[in-house]
Amino acid sequence: MEVITHERLRETVYRETMDNGLQVYVLPKPGFQKTYATFSTKYGSIDNHFQVEGEAETKVPDGIAHFLEHKMFEEPEGDIFAKFASLGASANAFTSFDQTVYLFSATENLMENLETLVNFVQNPYFTDQNVEKEKGIIGQEIGMYQDNPDWRVYFGLIEAMYAVHPVHIDIAGTVESIGTITKETLYTCYKTFYHPSNMLLFVVGGIEPEEVFSLVRSNQAKKNYKPQGNIQRLFDAEPAEVHEKRKVIKLPVSLPKCLFGFKETKLGVTGEALLRRDLATKLALELLIGTSTKLYQKLYDMDLISDGFGHEYNSNPNYAFSTIGGDTKDPERLLEIVTEDIKAVLTTGFESDDFERARKKKIGGYLRMLNSPENIAHEFTRYRFRGQDLFSVLPIYESMTLEEVNNRLREHIDWNQLAVSLVVSP
Amino acid sequence: MGSGCFFTLPWYRMELNLFEVASADMTVSCKGVFILNKTVFERGSVGHIRIHVLPTTRFKTFAVSLYAGIPLNEETVTTAALTPFVLRRGTVSYPETIQFRKQLEHLYGAGFGFDVYKRGNYQIIQFRVDTINDEFVSSSDSLLHKTFSFLGEVVTKPVTENGVFREAYVNSERETVRKKLEAIINDKIRYAAERCMEEMFRGDPYRLHPLGQRKDLDGITPASLYEAFQQWLQQANLDLYVVGDTTLAEVQELVEQHFTLGRSSSPVYVPVKSEAAGGDVRVVEEVLDVNQGKLNMGLRIPVTYGDDQYAAALLYNGILGSYPHSKLFINVREKESLAYYAASRFDGHKGIISIQSGIEIANYSKALEIIKAQLASLRDGQISELEMSQTKAMLRNTLLEMQDSAFDIVAYDFNRVLSGRERPVEELLRQIEAITPEDVVRVANSVELDTIYFLTGKKEA
Repeated sequence: MEVITHERLRETVYRETMDNGLQVYVLPKPGFQKTYATFSTKYGSIDNHFQVEGEAETKVPDGIAHFLEHKMFEEPEGDIFAKFASLGASANAFTSFDQTVYLFSATENLMENLETLVNFVQNPYFTDQNVEKEKGIIGQEIGMYQDNPDWRVYFGLIEAMYAVHPVHIDIAGTVESIGTITKETLYTCYKTFYHPSNMLLFVVGGIEPEEVFSLVRSNQAKKNYKPQGNIQRLFDAEPAEVHEKRKVIKLPVSLPKCLFGFKETKLGVTGEALLRRDLATKLALELLIGTSTKLYQKLYDMDLISDGFGHEYNSNPNYAFSTIGGDTKDPERLLEIVTEDIKAVLTTGFESDDFERARKKKIGGYLRMLNSPENIAHEFTRYRFRGQDLFSVLPIYESMTLEEVNNRLREHIDWNQLAVSLVVSP
Repeated sequence: MGSGCFFTLPWYRMELNLFEVASADMTVSCKGVFILNKTVFERGSVGHIRIHVLPTTRFKTFAVSLYAGIPLNEETVTTAALTPFVLRRGTVSYPETIQFRKQLEHLYGAGFGFDVYKRGNYQIIQFRVDTINDEFVSSSDSLLHKTFSFLGEVVTKPVTENGVFREAYVNSERETVRKKLEAIINDKIRYAAERCMEEMFRGDPYRLHPLGQRKDLDGITPASLYEAFQQWLQQANLDLYVVGDTTLAEVQELVEQHFTLGRSSSPVYVPVKSEAAGGDVRVVEEVLDVNQGKLNMGLRIPVTYGDDQYAAALLYNGILGSYPHSKLFINVREKESLAYYAASRFDGHKGIISIQSGIEIANYSKALEIIKAQLASLRDGQISELEMSQTKAMLRNTLLEMQDSAFDIVAYDFNRVLSGRERPVEELLRQIEAITPEDVVRVANSVELDTIYFLTGKKEA
């Protein structure tokens, strides 16, 4: 067991890697009633083409990671929710581009709940019938998102940017693609990505670290996992330029939705360097178009934007892009003014006062996030899977310089890499 | 349902959840603070503002909440809703919005915002600030003091011109509220839920949206809004909560310093007495351009937070539809694959159970029949021991874990202010444990289906 103390944040993390490769982290939160645990695999919607060392190359249907997540809750004795409910735990799961997370929160029966979580995720049970049944449920989930203009405009933007990389494919897939999923394809994905060496268990709350480690140790020792070779995630070459400059989707909306962003060209950055770039870009966007900027206020005063206008940066070693936007009565005028202003800022750079203030805002947001066990578990895992450490965020922010943020902005804003996504009423 | 207006917005979420059942709103009426940690509010009052302080070192922040509630009323709903939008534009010390927002960033991006929502027969405006405890950052003077000075100014000293609100701000925020009201239709899940309530309460002020009515917006002037604001400050129920590393004495002093209102009385909330309405079930169908149909139902339940049967009503709702082991989830989703979500929600301040589901349009009759069968099975007492024990365990978990969030602790305590009923979490836990299937059946037989609302597409799918 390794102990990592972050004195300034008053947080201590305990870590141990099991013999089969499973990484386990415990963060005690003295005084908290709740324990929150996540059991995550580094496997999401983008991992649709892969090869395990010494095995055949495999391509799987779109939406299968998410489908698999739904099906994991079924056990030979029935739905695992019933067991969690009897133990007073609320359980759920979610799938994103690059991870699948199973979780529970509970205030009692903590060790039993933890063992239930580990066991159900390590015990797949797929049958032809239960796979068919799920297609109806997920079909409705897809239908629900089809009617959601925020979801559509977001995926519209990624589709505009990416021609090949699977990040542009809806996490749930399509009714057609999930139609081709069988229990055999599910088992193939399961065996590859649910090997303990590709997974991470995070437990946060009012718990004793050693109690968790000893439970997991003896639980894993009983399971006889054989070592697995490295998983190669295969991605066909994505062109550097955007796929389409502009994508328009017709859906009834009270005002047009407009999202735009820049597709990053410099890929292959990993680990702490990627985190630093990520934070610098977010800070740059805050300074460029955050709620206290002149540009934001000008757009608001011109009635071109409203509450809900925001910005985000999403980065991974093999794709990265910014998203900026919201509802607007006039997307053309909005883009025109934003373009003009950004060009001006690119020449002058940001001011040092503004930089200090935006940095404070980011640090405050980060510290507030650490109040929530859920956020700690989700963010810690997400960072870990990318070879990063959630607790290095504060020192990175503190060591960041104005020059660095100015340079990052100039590197990121490349007008050839701009894509726009619109949702407008038919 | 709340209308969030936070500067730091939860932005696009790129994850798909396994399920979505209860909306966050439902849990507000059953969240709580557990006395295990001796987390007891200290209470006082300054200038007819009620003050509630929970001293604790568990969090990295000071959570400050000001609740202002007035009776929900057609005449005042829109002006009251518009007020906080104008207040967030500028104060006497920070008249320009950019200055105002920069000040918030100096406070380490204090999570300032407000929510406008309905509770029982009241329209509540909740201001919130979540400020970092100075110990974690290098700050020259107390961030709690600065926060109070800021929030006090926001609420009591807005920037004015010619003795009334600044016209540009009123005009601009009027458009913001209008856009929000018009945007409700974009989110079909929320739209269907709100339309169902609007139909169910068509003769009652509860039909009103907490953000008001579009038709009123044009008639509001800077002068009329300012006058309404002055009245609102005098007449609203005001409750100020602080959770963090502080004391009642410190907070009282800060309120005295920064909230000068000259109020002459402290009104109290009058809880709803919910009654069964009788009469036939109303069916409303609405056609919009949607792929998925939304089947919503509104039911009346003659039990509210202040009643002794409240715990039994929580059990009823839990067994019916607020968890993945509930009858709706099992029968509508898992057995029949008809929906991704099928859930119920209990509003303990108005006496409403609402049911929502998203279904294929052609499956309307089938889904309706299955949902009605679940209601009937509860009336007939088809409640297993397992359903009872699972639901009790889940309610217990919800109540206990809420104390890990400062704003949830506050939300639970505010139930007491709204209902006039003191019910510490331990007491509610004991009441829940004591509920029998017979108690749940009694509640089930008092529940009446009132409205069925179906949002359907232009063409049969």
